Amino acid sequence: MDTYKRIIAVVLLLNILLVATHEGEFWPFSIFPMFSQAGQPWSRGVVENVQDTTRADLWQTKPIEEISNRILPLEDYGIHEIDFANYISKTRNWDRPKINGLRSTFQIDEYPGEQWMPTRVVGAINDEGSVVIRAIPMFLFTADTTYKNPNLFSSQ
Amino acid sequence: MDRLFDNLFNLEVPESTGTKIQLRAFELFTVVYTLIYTWEWAFYVPRLSDIVLPLGLANYIDVKIFFGELATINAIVITLACLIPFFFKRQRWLYFLAFILFHIQYVSRFSQGEIPHSANFVGFSLMGLGIAALFIRDIKKSLPFAFGFTLFFIGLGYTSAAISKLVATGITWVDGQHLWLWIGEKSIDILSKTGEFQLNWLQELAISSRMIATLILTFGLVTEFMGFCIWYRRWRPYITLALIGMHIGIDLTMNIFFKTFTIQLIIMGFPWNRYINALIHRRISFSGKPLRRYLLY
Repeated sequence: MDTYKRIIAVVLLLNILLVATHEGEFWPFSIFPMFSQAGQPWSRGVVENVQDTTRADLWQTKPIEEISNRILPLEDYGIHEIDFANYISKTRNWDRPKINGLRSTFQIDEYPGEQWMPTRVVGAINDEGSVVIRAIPMFLFTADTTYKNPNLFSSQ
Repeated sequence: MDRLFDNLFNLEVPESTGTKIQLRAFELFTVVYTLIYTWEWAFYVPRLSDIVLPLGLANYIDVKIFFGELATINAIVITLACLIPFFFKRQRWLYFLAFILFHIQYVSRFSQGEIPHSANFVGFSLMGLGIAALFIRDIKKSLPFAFGFTLFFIGLGYTSAAISKLVATGITWVDGQHLWLWIGEKSIDILSKTGEFQLNWLQELAISSRMIATLILTFGLVTEFMGFCIWYRRWRPYITLALIGMHIGIDLTMNIFFKTFTIQLIIMGFPWNRYINALIHRRISFSGKPLRRYLLY
């Protein structure tokens, strides 16, 4: 039993040292922080399947309900929705490689005629205590062109 | 402290068929889920092109080299390093090699900003089998050690999760409004994945009343906090039931089902050895000795 105690003590010490020096995560060691920060605004992502690019509200931020009936099901295209959500919500500097990286994930070149709009979705509790979810269009991908939201990116 | 270690590592009737079946089931579960995750990640990794968030050893080695065929080669080596010790009950140190390579497979796959925890307990199980093989060679002792080692980190993990919540948010973590916000967040993930989303009965119930939502979160927090009770044989089945209930609740409210955790809890959290032994004594006369010796140990 002394050997067992020593092993547990050493691994536990290693656990503490590794999570303390690696922001709580050194797989499989973890402080298991999922859902620890409650009430924080969040940011995710969806892809809107755009039919009409001439409509006036194309680039406007809008309630999620306005686009929820035309969301592209990413599982049908082999795209991992959490990876996409992280990519679109955590990227701050949208330089050309980042935009091309997002574009290549979709492989839209293989779907001529399709128009897909990667959209950031943000949620928060408002002053009345209700949850408000808004959709922020970021880009419009067609088979041969990438358009950036003119309200968010200055023309380059 | 001695009582804790006795509860973790000393199983009832260690030489009985029931105990051997439960321990080999634990080992089988570890091997099967290691291989499921390993190959799932091996097929996905070649799609990756950039590291967004380095985890674990990816802080020290460039795991981009695995963004190709190396992930598949790694998966083949892990497979052999799991199957050889499982089937032949020899060269069990290979479990430790499998654990290190499994870690690399994980940090290669999850370099994109997401930090899932679904495979953590499988990781601890494999680590336990590997350490047991290195330091406690006799399989009759090494399997119970790996079992107790894993139980220790499962209990620590759940209690640690509750403490993380209390540290990061405080006791107001249980406020039902927070559940509303998470239901909204997960609804977007489902919408993004499938193109549609509808609230289920429990989500509707939670959204209809802040008090009900608060009660749901309170049950979750208290259950997680009591996770360390799994270390003690007497409390193990009860806390296991509560944790499984909590996982079903998480699935219904936030659409996240920790399937692997739940299966592992079912295998490890109940005294199956006692039930099997009782069954054998009462009804079954198991005469296939060579087969039993091969399947068990």
